Amino acid sequence: MRKCLGIIVLDFILVVAATAFEKDIRPILENTCLKCHGGEKVKGKVDFSGILNLEQAEEQLDLWEKVVDVLETGDMPPEDERQLTTGETRTILDWCHKELAKPIEAQPGIFQPRRLSAPEYRNTLRSLFGFDLKVSIATAEQTLSGEQSLVLKLLPIDPPGVSGFVNDTHGTKLSPILMDQYLHLSDAALEKLFSIKGRKQLSFLMGVQKSEAWKPYDITLEEANTLISNFISRALRRPIKAKMATQVSKSLERKIGEELLKAIKFEMKAILMSPAFLYRGLLMEGKPGIQQSVDSFELAERLSYFLWEDRPDDELTELASSGEISKPGIIAEQVSRMLLSPNSRSLAESFAVQWLGLANIDDMFKNDPGDRGHGMRTQPRDFLHYLFTEERPVMELIDSRVTFVNQSTSGFYGKDRQRLARFPKPQGVERQRTMNQRLELREAEGRGGILTMPSILIMNRGPILRGTWMLRRILGVELGEPPADVPPIKPSPRGQKLSFRERFAVHRENASCSRCHNKIDPLGFALDGYDNNGRYLLGEAQKKNLKTPIDTSGQLPGGETFEDFEELKAVFMTSQRENIVRNIVEQTLTYALCRELKRFDQSTVNTITKNLCRDNGTWKSLFTQIANSLPFRETFIQNAKHEESKLED
Amino acid sequence: MKSRNWRIDRRTFLRGAAGALVPLPFINLMEGSADNGIRNLAGDTQPPVRFMTLFKPNGVHPPSWNINGGMENDFRMSPLMKPFAKHKEDLIILDNMGDFGFSSHSNSTRRFLSGHHNNRKSASVDQIIADKISAGTTHRSLELTTEGLFTNQIDCSYISYDKKGGRIPRESDPQLVFDRLFRNPLRDPNQRRHISSLLDRVSNDAKALQRIAGAEDQATLDEYFTAVRETEKRLEKMAPVSGSKGVDFSSLVRPESGVNLNEQVEAMLDVIAMALWTDSTRCISYMLGNSNSRMIFDFLGIKKQHHYLSHFFRNFSRSNIDSLLKISLWHMEKFDYLLSKLKSYKDHHGRLLDHCVVLYGSGMGHSDNHTAQRIPIVLAGKGGGQLKTGRYLRYSQNQELSRLHLSLLRMFGVESDSFANSSSPLPGLGGGSFDEYRERPFTSWVKSEQGKMTVQGRLRMSDNLDEAKVFYMDIKDKPPVRIEIGFGDFHGFNVAYHVGTPITLSGNSSERNGQLVITRITEIKSVFGNSKPGKAGG
Repeated sequence: MRKCLGIIVLDFILVVAATAFEKDIRPILENTCLKCHGGEKVKGKVDFSGILNLEQAEEQLDLWEKVVDVLETGDMPPEDERQLTTGETRTILDWCHKELAKPIEAQPGIFQPRRLSAPEYRNTLRSLFGFDLKVSIATAEQTLSGEQSLVLKLLPIDPPGVSGFVNDTHGTKLSPILMDQYLHLSDAALEKLFSIKGRKQLSFLMGVQKSEAWKPYDITLEEANTLISNFISRALRRPIKAKMATQVSKSLERKIGEELLKAIKFEMKAILMSPAFLYRGLLMEGKPGIQQSVDSFELAERLSYFLWEDRPDDELTELASSGEISKPGIIAEQVSRMLLSPNSRSLAESFAVQWLGLANIDDMFKNDPGDRGHGMRTQPRDFLHYLFTEERPVMELIDSRVTFVNQSTSGFYGKDRQRLARFPKPQGVERQRTMNQRLELREAEGRGGILTMPSILIMNRGPILRGTWMLRRILGVELGEPPADVPPIKPSPRGQKLSFRERFAVHRENASCSRCHNKIDPLGFALDGYDNNGRYLLGEAQKKNLKTPIDTSGQLPGGETFEDFEELKAVFMTSQRENIVRNIVEQTLTYALCRELKRFDQSTVNTITKNLCRDNGTWKSLFTQIANSLPFRETFIQNAKHEESKLED
Repeated sequence: MKSRNWRIDRRTFLRGAAGALVPLPFINLMEGSADNGIRNLAGDTQPPVRFMTLFKPNGVHPPSWNINGGMENDFRMSPLMKPFAKHKEDLIILDNMGDFGFSSHSNSTRRFLSGHHNNRKSASVDQIIADKISAGTTHRSLELTTEGLFTNQIDCSYISYDKKGGRIPRESDPQLVFDRLFRNPLRDPNQRRHISSLLDRVSNDAKALQRIAGAEDQATLDEYFTAVRETEKRLEKMAPVSGSKGVDFSSLVRPESGVNLNEQVEAMLDVIAMALWTDSTRCISYMLGNSNSRMIFDFLGIKKQHHYLSHFFRNFSRSNIDSLLKISLWHMEKFDYLLSKLKSYKDHHGRLLDHCVVLYGSGMGHSDNHTAQRIPIVLAGKGGGQLKTGRYLRYSQNQELSRLHLSLLRMFGVESDSFANSSSPLPGLGGGSFDEYRERPFTSWVKSEQGKMTVQGRLRMSDNLDEAKVFYMDIKDKPPVRIEIGFGDFHGFNVAYHVGTPITLSGNSSERNGQLVITRITEIKSVFGNSKPGKAGG
């Protein structure tokens, strides 16, 4: 289904706004903003002068998004200009939010080629060459070996993009340093491929079994051509074009021995350094100026980089060649298959680690290569991998009866740990890391789900960090930066002994503090039953040792009250369910699309959220729905700026 | 499955070892033509002297390491020294080096190049030497290792320390070190030409893409072309430079990535030899492992950790001793590998080793009780004529390592009055006199009648450590008596304790092919010491 973007009518449901634009918003703009934005001057390309009525206002929704942003962060108005009253700010924000929330039809993003992120590059090289490029470092028990992948050691760390995920590489430039490292890594990979260690993969790419005794300079021209065309189509993730094939075979012609080998390596290196390899999407076929389905190789690539962080394997490539992959049923089958592959571990290791900020756990335990550090680092990842790949409902993130523990972390799980198999210890090994075991929770008090996992509680110490983490990462609430004039938390007044909790109650009396702390504090204090080492203090046995009772009760801004964390968790599972599922969908879709979500993605998010809430849907269902969603399958290629002159050369 | 895997590893290990014997094609290229030396007053050139240290983790098993009863020019190398015995004429084996008392792993690691474990605020000896001799080389020094960081005691992972006593980061990947030394496109005209033509080619291919691209693709490709252009510009700016010795680096063979520890270490030793030969650097420290190393030498068929095995007394079993000795022999083989490599390169009018000082050893002696005395220390190379090799120097008094370090500093021209605790250098290294250890004289004899034998002499382990349970007693002017006993006697009489000392031993004996063999012990008396030291493992 192809349609021309030009004729898409933005199908607003016109709700009569309680606040009329002309009557309530326009006057505030005139009084405060217009001076710099459309009156005396037009600063920052923001011009309000032409927006006189609701219709004109609704044509510029991007502008109102910007307005929300600067008001919420307090960036505007500038300090030395007339300030908005709290009431005025509220009026504008409420109106903007209402306008922006109006549903619009789903629409794909603009097609943007994207450089492979460092882990994607590592995995792509690995599956292309059949081996990993590793740093030579002997590994030993209780020894930190550091980064073992040569690729990750050499490539600069990709900063997260606007979307918050590192696979959104749109914002980071291709630096000459990066070019140097690509050159180096290509050399290293090719050298290994033509050495004895690469013989298996080389034979595979040549289509002829070669023994270890065989010397690469004995390669025949025919073998060389097969090798190169296999290599190119695999590296570029689509069949090699006839023109390119001719060009390559011409460059090999009439060469033998070392000279031929040199030419082969040169051609292969040229591919590894080409933008078509280093970027995703440059070879997609399509017409500029219209909305269209992505071609089937692009779809295969999107799916495999989403679930595997890697290039498509042979099965996906075949389905792309035949075009079968476009069928929604085939996509569902492939998602099932792909989740069973070990490569799907990347969902936990990349997607979840970035979404939930789990790298902080690694930092906290970076000097503990032993069992405890190992257990803390791996527990949330193993748990998430289980949810992602074993058809678990998305809400089991919050409430689950399964967890993963090793010898050290099993201590948090009371009597349940007795059901674990013994952790065998080979003789002559002084201390060692134990592998996680799956543990069914029956009697453990205060556990289950990610929120009360020891490493998460240790990573977020104290009620404020814990509350903020839950709001941002789990409920998907955007908190602005703390205001610049934030007053310190006051010490107890002389003669009184206020608890931390009571002092924060004082803090919340300040209006600019309460804006966020009304949301943060109740969530955070609900976890006060867990200490900074992740231990549960309110179990039947532990409760007796408490000197003073711990207050874990609270009230959410919406009015709901709870006595303890278990009750808060019940709130999460019921009235907050939709918010949490929506956040999960938004995060996963953002990762899958490798870009920030736009307003036109909201209807996709809404549909998937509704489906998952209705069916108690699984992660697998979420992945499948995303892979079958419009923004994933379709795109819009922008017209080139000087298209005609380009076509003439 | 497991045993099969082991066999594969073992085979690759052997292949790696055999590779060492293949001479490199360019070895003789530079003889006579290189002029990398420093002119002396007469106008002759002197090649620079290089300093290389090789650290062996976790001490030694003294009964198999110590030389006993030897004199400066008349000594028998111990069973553990067998792998590098062929280099005897290029070695000075030092004995009675160390400190009194016991020493933790991290203290002993610090001692190795800093002289004393409390010398924590100043540079280690290699770094001071590097400052002095590295002028004119591309790389001031290299600090290398084999494994990652041992975080329980962080100092176990470092031997080289900077001016403030801070840990100097180490590199472990031979290929990365090789590339840093020899494959820098900045320095290699061939590489630069190759990259230029590659970039041309890649840009041409990419231009073809641009014709069909949309606006976003154009932006992406523009970014790509900018990076290519910047790289090209940098290439143009680079003036051609070759190594200070004029060696064409493209003729050096890049080591392959090792499949096991042995290959990794041999590849690194190859790179070390190349680095010294090309005069890319004159100072290298290399750790064969962290002290306290938990490494498992699976390629030798060993499943237990090195540290666990190194406590051979408290974790006593015959198979543990065998495993420990296998690991120690492997360390000695790597020392041999390095020396053979350094001999294979011609440098100036001699072998590269003649213009090196190689310091090999550990920071502790006895690996089980961590005594800091009789630390294994061997110097190799002639140091440009400053070391008189082929000797065994056993000092009468314990010598702190810092005395040796002070001697090394002077040898490399560092005017220093003291180092760590020492203000006088170690005597004897250049052939001068020193106070040699004298053993109390004792007589040796053998009496036997009707299957019983009493023998007095020095007890020693078999030279062949594959039969580590076999011992010998040396008797003046007679063939040695072989002691081949069961575990009960070995354990009960604590035979290992007496190794190296004179004893009177009685037992049941027989004669096999003219060789006297004792098969059961009835009594051991120490000639000078305690006859009943307690039982092993007790």
